[in-house]
Amino acid sequence: MTARPSTAAVRQIGPATGFFLVFFVVPLAILFAMSFWTQDGFERIPGFDLANYLKATTSRLYPAVLLRTILVGFVTAAIVVPVAYALAWLMRFTFERRGRLILGVVLISLFSGYLVRIYAWRTILGTEGLLNAALLQLGLISEPITALIFSPWAVMIVLVGLLLPLAVLPIWSAMTNVGRDHVEGARDLGATGLRLHRTIILPMVLPGVGTAFALSFVLAAGDFVVPTMVGGAQGGTMVGNLIANEFRGSGADWPMGAALAFVIMGLLVLVHLVTTRLLRVVTRW
Amino acid sequence: MDDRIRQLLNARLNADVTRRQLLQGLGGMAAITVVGAGGVRAASRPGSAAAARGHQQTLGGPLNFLGYEGEEAPNVAADFLASNGITMQPSYVGAADEALTRFQTGGRGQMDLMAANKDFQRSVLDAGIEFMMPLDPARIPNAAGLWPAFRVAPWVVRDGVQYTVPLIWGDEPCIYDPAKWPEGPPAKYTDFADPKWAGELVWLDDPFTNIWLYGQSLGYADPSKITREQLDAVVQAMLASKPNVVAYGASLGDMVDIMVRGEASMGIGGWAGQLTIAREKGKEFAVKSPEIDGTFYWSDAYAIALDAPNLDNAYAFIDFMMSPEANAQIATELGSACTIEAAFDILDAETQAMFPYDVVRAEDGGVLNTQVVIPPQEDEGDIVGAGAWSEAWQEFKLS
Repeated sequence: MTARPSTAAVRQIGPATGFFLVFFVVPLAILFAMSFWTQDGFERIPGFDLANYLKATTSRLYPAVLLRTILVGFVTAAIVVPVAYALAWLMRFTFERRGRLILGVVLISLFSGYLVRIYAWRTILGTEGLLNAALLQLGLISEPITALIFSPWAVMIVLVGLLLPLAVLPIWSAMTNVGRDHVEGARDLGATGLRLHRTIILPMVLPGVGTAFALSFVLAAGDFVVPTMVGGAQGGTMVGNLIANEFRGSGADWPMGAALAFVIMGLLVLVHLVTTRLLRVVTRW
Repeated sequence: MDDRIRQLLNARLNADVTRRQLLQGLGGMAAITVVGAGGVRAASRPGSAAAARGHQQTLGGPLNFLGYEGEEAPNVAADFLASNGITMQPSYVGAADEALTRFQTGGRGQMDLMAANKDFQRSVLDAGIEFMMPLDPARIPNAAGLWPAFRVAPWVVRDGVQYTVPLIWGDEPCIYDPAKWPEGPPAKYTDFADPKWAGELVWLDDPFTNIWLYGQSLGYADPSKITREQLDAVVQAMLASKPNVVAYGASLGDMVDIMVRGEASMGIGGWAGQLTIAREKGKEFAVKSPEIDGTFYWSDAYAIALDAPNLDNAYAFIDFMMSPEANAQIATELGSACTIEAAFDILDAETQAMFPYDVVRAEDGGVLNTQVVIPPQEDEGDIVGAGAWSEAWQEFKLS
């Protein structure tokens, strides 16, 4: 006999499920169907053609951008997660009494607009920006460092800055379930330093770390505003930019944009699954 | 997310949106100074001409607008709309072809007034797509005051039938810091490959602007219609300049922001309205086109969708916007040039000097009417289409 969900449970999850179905699943299904269509001038021709997927994976342009996108997303997440982990540790154990205050300070940047934060980073990293001004004042450099902004590095720095508050939340939340007695017990048994984190803490907060990684990775790889705003002549194109271009202006090709969106979605899921599995393996050593 | 796409990642077409958004607020104030609030109010004589011709107009109710933000003239037309009981219901597009998509996907019968750029409207007319309705000039008497160039423009009239009514126009010169470059840009765009421009250039992130300008620099008769080999040659020419490029502005506003912050001193594919934005931020820049290569011209025009449900409102609104006072005010507000001849005299000297009005004084329309900037939507024989241009631009950026 199969257990049937209670009416109360249906009532509770019904609205969210309905919203998710109507505003996410259905549009996604439409977009997926469209990815097999073709574009002829201003018209989209319904059909089933794999040409867009073939082009997305074999042309000169798209694979290179896809690779770059995955790389930027992965490196950004690989930087964000350890920093967020360390911050969560500090908030949970080192400065336990002021943990929530620190968390508030970290999260306060989320109260400003996304674009405002990007422009703030421009102000910090610019040739005439705060960082260069400070370094000049300190006499550490004689001329402004122009590579701080409008470079691939600038994209990563800004993405790390933007995503850090989001990554701290799930890790800190998971870490609140780790008691001080767990840490002290582990230390008493000889697990200190890196071993303490790898064998005791990390397995306990792994869901939080996994969520933080997935959030950072997907958001970084999917971003197209930061590369445009601070990537400059050398670092300004990610797959999000290509997808955006396919959906607007003359030369727009919605089916191609849809196919690109599903290719990058598949790649992101794949990388996430592999990374999560690797993380599990590492914590079992 | 749509807003972010619209506002940040724009090419030439989308850049129009940013231009409008940036200047709309301050332009409203400036325009009132230029025209005088009473002038526009005096110009609103709804339906008088049509009534005189015996047409029974029924004004009031909604007027659906789909086009670039600001071109529904919320400041300029406020009194006109209120006094006639018309409620403007605007929706904005990032690119002109979004209106066609809306029309073809259930929007027919719900859309009234549209605003789009000349090259899009021209390509729609060329393709013979059912979209814009033929206009009755008798219902837009004020449009008789258009500069000569706009009366015969190929994106306005097709086979003797009028489809659009030009609202504003302008060009795309280089914007630069005169303190650093007193002589302005070089004579040709390809000269930007000179190492002296290293770390000084900012381009608009738009395939059509840059490929067209460099195609012009390579001497192609019509840079909008080029072959694959010519497109490759253009990309090679652009690559020679690329080491000198600091960044690509996401929009015209972003481009000037990069210059104001001192990251670059020469912008390619700019706009005279950027001078106002820079001045607001305490910087004095100048605009000038390369002496040999020149630049291209754009124009945005109103059109009415087929089966528009509020036809009288649409006609009356367009006619109002064609009054010299309203046209001068909208041009000032949007940092653009006016399309009505009598509106020119109302503009202040500085606004008059922003654009090369000789272009629109030519009886045959001159270069404004012969010039096409956006390539064909699809490949046409050896001529590569817009998709190829977009891909070439992205490959160029990756190189």
